[in-house]
Amino acid sequence: MRFTGIVLLVWMSIFQARQGVFVCKNAHINIFSSTPIEDIDANSIKAVSVYNANTGDLEFSLPVRSLHFQKSLMEEHFNENYIESDKFPKATFKGKIQSPPDVSKDGTYPVIVTGDFQIHGITRARTISGTISVVNGIVTLNSEFTVKCADHNIDIPQIVFHNIAENIRVRVSGTYALFKN
Amino acid sequence: MKKIFTLFVLLVAGMSVLAQQNNKTPSADSMLNLLSSTDAQHEQILPAFNATRLIFSPTTETVKKNNLNFLIIHRFGDMGTAIGGFRSFFGLDAVNDVYLGIEYGFTDNFQVSVGRNSIGQMGETQFKWALIHQSTDDHTPLNLTLLAGEGIRPYGSFASFGDRLSYIGELIISRKFSRTFSFELSPVYVRDNQPLPYVPGNPPGFFALSTAFRWKVTKRMSLIADYEHPFSSFRNNSGNFEDPIGFGAEFETGGHVFTLNVTNARAISQINSLSNSTSSYGRGQFRLGFTISRMFDFNKKKTSNNY
Repeated sequence: MRFTGIVLLVWMSIFQARQGVFVCKNAHINIFSSTPIEDIDANSIKAVSVYNANTGDLEFSLPVRSLHFQKSLMEEHFNENYIESDKFPKATFKGKIQSPPDVSKDGTYPVIVTGDFQIHGITRARTISGTISVVNGIVTLNSEFTVKCADHNIDIPQIVFHNIAENIRVRVSGTYALFKN
Repeated sequence: MKKIFTLFVLLVAGMSVLAQQNNKTPSADSMLNLLSSTDAQHEQILPAFNATRLIFSPTTETVKKNNLNFLIIHRFGDMGTAIGGFRSFFGLDAVNDVYLGIEYGFTDNFQVSVGRNSIGQMGETQFKWALIHQSTDDHTPLNLTLLAGEGIRPYGSFASFGDRLSYIGELIISRKFSRTFSFELSPVYVRDNQPLPYVPGNPPGFFALSTAFRWKVTKRMSLIADYEHPFSSFRNNSGNFEDPIGFGAEFETGGHVFTLNVTNARAISQINSLSNSTSSYGRGQFRLGFTISRMFDFNKKKTSNNY
């Protein structure tokens, strides 16, 4: 009995500490910009995210080099001249979902998240809307927002000005699993 | 005793619930680090050079898969001799060599190039294979690329067809020392079945060393320098030959790379410049030159907007 009690105790404390913490190791990030001359479209499925359903804390981290472009030269220039990913290898978001929904119940919940978005070494406070959907206990998060290049000191030289939009649309989609250590 | 213990278990369990509500445990930060630790190991560095060629030397870079690079290279006439001066606009009216060529990437690491030089009307085919890429964590500290090329002179009088052919083999070794500075060193072997110049004592084959650097001054502009030295006792003893040296500025504008340079050597192809460079800076035999490289991407458009 004593042994069972200890096991129960340890198990319960672990379970409770981890309860409501969700992780996603393969969030899909898509960036897109459109100009009359050229569309720029890149994808990564290597973003990682942690969501604490109890507190609403939400974090994302994207290795910038994992974004793959249709044109290889575009990818090279994106890394070398725009994002400077050898200096700033990660794009991150650290925020908090306002009034986090109860993810133990199935449903689709519109959410608003406030936090710091960092890319190219420049951090901006952002309020971004998205949705959390729970289907059969599986938590999915989707969001779409715009990043203004100028906000993050991403220079677009005059010479390629018409090929690259000033605003980049970012789409985020992640399917989460309950964190197990 | 049992009852007390059960009570204790329940108490602690209840407390842990309370504790959990108060704390943000576990810290999301540390968990994100835990997850990120699976990041790519030995990640390839960003390219050491902007283009596949510098002034004389090829770089360790190759054209990426399904990309086509179109090249126009010029060397003009002497700036500092009687040919130069304001009348010919410092040699611009006297074109010494023109190279037109294409390079195609069959994979991200293998390219084939075909082109034509004005000097000797020489057609050239080259195969370039990037074997090793420098990694960000210095697991591999160098870039290593192999080049094998062949030249053919279809015009002029030669004793046999074989004499029209020449070959070049090169092991290109480069290192990107910092975000702005890349250096390369390439042992070269040149074999010309009818040696150039075709004079007694000139052996058909010789080794050479080519060295170059790129210093990125701004995001769009780099300074480059290129130097070659043939190890040939025939060339050392004759006293007529000069080692090719070139200085240039490279401008990168998106799809184009534009290089403006000054060289003593007249020839563009390394087969020609290593074999037969006699012009010297000291005698005013230096010239303007440029390279225009334009990349076309034939990768299929992937639509990913609906997921």
